[in-house]
Amino acid sequence: MINLQKVSKTFQKENMEVKVLQDVSLDVGDGEFVSIMAPSGMGKSTLLNILGCLDKPTSGEYLFDGVPVHAMDDDDLSRIRNEKIGFVFQSFHLLPRMTAWENVILPLIYSDVDVDMKERAFSVLTSVGLADRVDHLPRELSGGQQQRVAIARALVNSPRIILADEPTGNLDSASGREVMRVFRELHAAGTTLIVVTHDRDVAEQADRIIEMKDGRISSDGPTKVRAVEVSK
Amino acid sequence: MRVLRASKQALSAMVENKARTFLMMLGVIIGVATLTVIASSVIGARSDVMSKVQKFGLDQIMIMAGSGRKPGVPQPVPTTLRIEDAQAMVSEISNVKDAVPQINRRDFPVKFGNKSTYGVLVAADANWSDVWNTPPERGRFFSREDNARLARVAVIGRTIVKDLFESDDPVGKQILLGNNPFEVMGVLEPRGTAASGVDMDSRILIPLLTGQKRVFNQDYLFMIKIVLHDASKMSQTVEDVRALLRERHNLQPAVEDDFTIVTPTQVMNLASKVSSTFSLFLILVSAISLVVGAVVIANIMFIAVNERRSEVGIRRAVGARKRDILIQFLFEAVSVAVIGGIAGVLLGLVGLKAVAGFMKVPAVIMWQPLVLALTCAVMVGLLAGIQPARRAANLNPIDALK
Repeated sequence: MINLQKVSKTFQKENMEVKVLQDVSLDVGDGEFVSIMAPSGMGKSTLLNILGCLDKPTSGEYLFDGVPVHAMDDDDLSRIRNEKIGFVFQSFHLLPRMTAWENVILPLIYSDVDVDMKERAFSVLTSVGLADRVDHLPRELSGGQQQRVAIARALVNSPRIILADEPTGNLDSASGREVMRVFRELHAAGTTLIVVTHDRDVAEQADRIIEMKDGRISSDGPTKVRAVEVSK
Repeated sequence: MRVLRASKQALSAMVENKARTFLMMLGVIIGVATLTVIASSVIGARSDVMSKVQKFGLDQIMIMAGSGRKPGVPQPVPTTLRIEDAQAMVSEISNVKDAVPQINRRDFPVKFGNKSTYGVLVAADANWSDVWNTPPERGRFFSREDNARLARVAVIGRTIVKDLFESDDPVGKQILLGNNPFEVMGVLEPRGTAASGVDMDSRILIPLLTGQKRVFNQDYLFMIKIVLHDASKMSQTVEDVRALLRERHNLQPAVEDDFTIVTPTQVMNLASKVSSTFSLFLILVSAISLVVGAVVIANIMFIAVNERRSEVGIRRAVGARKRDILIQFLFEAVSVAVIGGIAGVLLGLVGLKAVAGFMKVPAVIMWQPLVLALTCAVMVGLLAGIQPARRAANLNPIDALK
């Protein structure tokens, strides 16, 4: 579903060219659960932005569902993000003055689908275990709950893939485990997931771990040791 | 549908920050309020003048005794304008259909029993009622015969009726004009207040000859009003009248006119000049307020865009196009301006009442000034909002999310 061919990304920094990504080639199939691991500043966020159609590669090709994304204009990229990609961020990125359900329907506002938004928000929030928090503002929710609202937002438009950037980075370990449990459930239900993290325990929840170093993929393979299974 | 949703998002942002929203509105409120007052009073005054002119008649000319006279400005009256001048105009100028010679005197004391008041005493020919388009609503107007036999009869306006008779029927009653007893034979239809501020319903009409011989003791006139056959030949007729009067008054070429000719156009111009200085000042105030309002909105919008970078980033990440962000912020600016505009219109209407009472200009509430004011508000919102909205739309979503 995701197909990167020799993707490079170069930034201009004080007259110096910084190569953040170099010739990254990567395939992710339908239903996979992949972790991308790298220390900070090693290009994993840039890779995620490119995968998420928020950024375009300097060179190389990116096919999403066979469609060449690297050639698309801003409106097309917006539409792909809206219809096919769900984002989960480290700092949740909820709109502070909107209730949980109002945050969840945000992607629907920018989509052409005609559904009962509140009903849809309610059903997605229920699926992440927040049926009783529908009308709460973000500040009235715990970090774990906020991240689950963000996951609900990512899911509301039934995307092809969920991209998560350090989803447990701002959470205590219990909440982090809870979020990863939700991800595993989504994976079990067939959702494609890519999680970027520097935390090996988190990365090992996935079926496949890609490690990066200095803007290149240094290793790529199935998870050898599954971390201690999440227990309730 | 999408636009509608984006607009709703913008409205909720406004409600969230009421104090800031109010600050943003303030300039527009003041600007639109003053604009409403100006536009309403100018249009009101104009339509008032127009309707007065319609009643005055577009086919009519007034000839006032004395040079350089303006209606409503008191001045010594020369003794040269005569009844014979009026008769000569009708007989010698073919375009003159009718002429009413008359004498006017303001603040003339009138009494009934132990009640007294002041009115505008008008001594005129019997055709006054037709030419001034002011028929009696009760009783009758005096006739040529009444004039010829110097009858002591009067037709009075409603204000006089109210002051002297309250709700009683004045027809047939004896009143005193100065010390002369007159019989009330009719009541004039109401005509309201003139542009000059004179209450037209305080007029008391008596036959011209009666007035000359029994009240004023003078054989000259205050003015003559003439009616034309063909209004399109107005300027030619004015020249004919001038030539005739100069000849009849034996004026040498170097001597200026001892009369003043007032045409409907001059009446209109005069009335619009009165309010123009005042409205120029107000237009300046409202223009400055609107510009300041726009600058304030633009600045606060820039601040808001900066503060809401991450909101923009989030919206872009979940699929908002640049256009959606642009519309949202633009709609926000326009809504603020329009709500400010509506508040300004309401404030302006209140102000208009005050100004109207204070300046004695007619307070006419019409839709044109309101539309004008709101259009200005929308323009201010668009102009003020476009740059901040563009900046928001062009934020790089990755940077905005950091």
